[in-house]
Amino acid sequence: MLHVENLTKRYNGTLAVDRLNMDIPEGEIYGFVGANGAGKTTTMRIIAGLLAPSSGKVFIGGIDVFKEPLEVKKHIGYMPDFFGVYDDLKVYEYMDFYAGLYGISKQKSRGLTDSLLELVRLTNKKDAYVDTLSRGMKQRLCLARSLIHDPEFLILDEPASGLDPRARVEMTEILKELRSLGKTILISSHILHELSELCTSIGIIDAGKLIASGSVQDILEKMSHANQVKIRVSSKEEEAVKILMEIPGIGSISSVVGVIDVNMEGGDEACVRVLKTLVERDIPVVSFQPVESSLETVFMQLTKGEEQ
Amino acid sequence: MKINPILQKDIKTKLRGWRSVILICSYVTLLIFILLIYFVGNDLIYSYTMPSFNPRVAIGGYNLLITFQFALLYLAVPAIIATSISSERERQTLDLMLVTKTPAREIIAGKILVSIAHILLLLIASMPVVGVVFFFGGIGFPDLLKLIFFYILTSLFVASSGVFFSTIFKRNIVSIITTYIFLGLMTFGPFLGFFAYSLLNQMTFSPTYRSIALSLFPSPVFGFLSFYFSGTSHYDIFGSYYGHGLFSSIAYEFEVLIASETGLLRYMQPWIVNGIFSVLFSLLLILLSSAALNPVRRKK
Repeated sequence: MLHVENLTKRYNGTLAVDRLNMDIPEGEIYGFVGANGAGKTTTMRIIAGLLAPSSGKVFIGGIDVFKEPLEVKKHIGYMPDFFGVYDDLKVYEYMDFYAGLYGISKQKSRGLTDSLLELVRLTNKKDAYVDTLSRGMKQRLCLARSLIHDPEFLILDEPASGLDPRARVEMTEILKELRSLGKTILISSHILHELSELCTSIGIIDAGKLIASGSVQDILEKMSHANQVKIRVSSKEEEAVKILMEIPGIGSISSVVGVIDVNMEGGDEACVRVLKTLVERDIPVVSFQPVESSLETVFMQLTKGEEQ
Repeated sequence: MKINPILQKDIKTKLRGWRSVILICSYVTLLIFILLIYFVGNDLIYSYTMPSFNPRVAIGGYNLLITFQFALLYLAVPAIIATSISSERERQTLDLMLVTKTPAREIIAGKILVSIAHILLLLIASMPVVGVVFFFGGIGFPDLLKLIFFYILTSLFVASSGVFFSTIFKRNIVSIITTYIFLGLMTFGPFLGFFAYSLLNQMTFSPTYRSIALSLFPSPVFGFLSFYFSGTSHYDIFGSYYGHGLFSSIAYEFEVLIASETGLLRYMQPWIVNGIFSVLFSLLLILLSSAALNPVRRKK
């Protein structure tokens, strides 16, 4: 469905997106992960045809986004990371307006609006003014707007940002429904465990470069050579830290009241080696617990925890 | 027939509630008040020299009203239109429009139509007041239609200028100020240039309608002069001098100059000359605005 080839975007000499390549097959939900300023929004805006790249190509459903912009827009639904609503319109008028911009007739738009408002659970707010809606409702309305022309490909930039936990769960449920409807979705989010639940594959972007891409499981497995271990000691905490620092392959170490977090390279063998060294040096180890790899840890490892 | 969705939305939201009704009523009341003051004032001035009401006073009143309308159009349209795109940008709704299959030129056209629709609404609402002059003769319905047509052409010119600056400037205030400066230059610039040239070449300068039209064609004020002297003359039916000030004098000179012109220009009154320029220049501005708004051409 989406094919991105060597996409590059420069802003006054600053490289925002650097030779990015990406492929999303039909029916996939692709999570786009990256720190603030990593280039997620820029990439998504280019894919949506809202920004010209410095170089590179983007195809959606085989159509060149920059050569046939109007044709490709029939297939894209775009939800930015801001509301973008007209406060002086009622909910159904808002939907009518965008239906009009997509060339959908008034009669057809009414039926579509009804079913979309049902999908985003806003049917009871149909006659309400947009400015009376809560933040979560506005987000859902924006999602409904992006679906008015029944696009096959959705670009959702931080759809759950700023939402309270309940609204986030509601949004996730709606996205799952869209997945079951067979939509291909490119979604960016900061809430990584939600992405890992929802997405079939993910891409991690750092400083404009796509540093990892594939199914969530593949990426977690690829990163399994890097371990995080939680070690609890009953005493000699400082001595334990000193010993750990001497062991080759140990990355970062942090300790708080008897619990030492260790990042190290290597698989199970490395764990055995560390535990053996500590026991041989008479460190009273109470527990030694490898931390299961999550999207968060993978993200932190890949991006080296740097805020952009 | 498919109505531009931007126009449709704007009409729906602007005409909702009492705000627009109050605005239109206030505007018509203001026009009635201006006309009344003019009639009462003239009645007081001429009560000794003219024992009965002179119909030409009504034509003077008409001139005053259309001048007021013209000034209002020129001042009000930029305020409506000069924020049309920049406010969409500030409200973060511009991207949502550009991501639809509506091309940039239709978005621009929709915004221009909105401002023309506003002006038309005010013009139509004021027709009964302006139509008072029909009771006294001198101005016909075709004159009025011609005037409305000229107002629409001028609105198109003003609106396309506003939308152009609104497209290239991100902030509302910058866009409004630039639009007024640009319109000021287009309106008075040609006159200043013309007068400066005539002052510098006093000895040899002998203006013809052709030279004036070639110098002043971009200025809507030049076009508007066609309507100001319509139905009026410097002398009343008894041959007495009956002037209406500077504009009537200029207008009278124009009549003489146009009459002495030969060829096609003899039939090209100032409003036609300026109208053609307004249409062509507006088309150029619409094309430039569409290009500037086209997302894949924008670099930021």
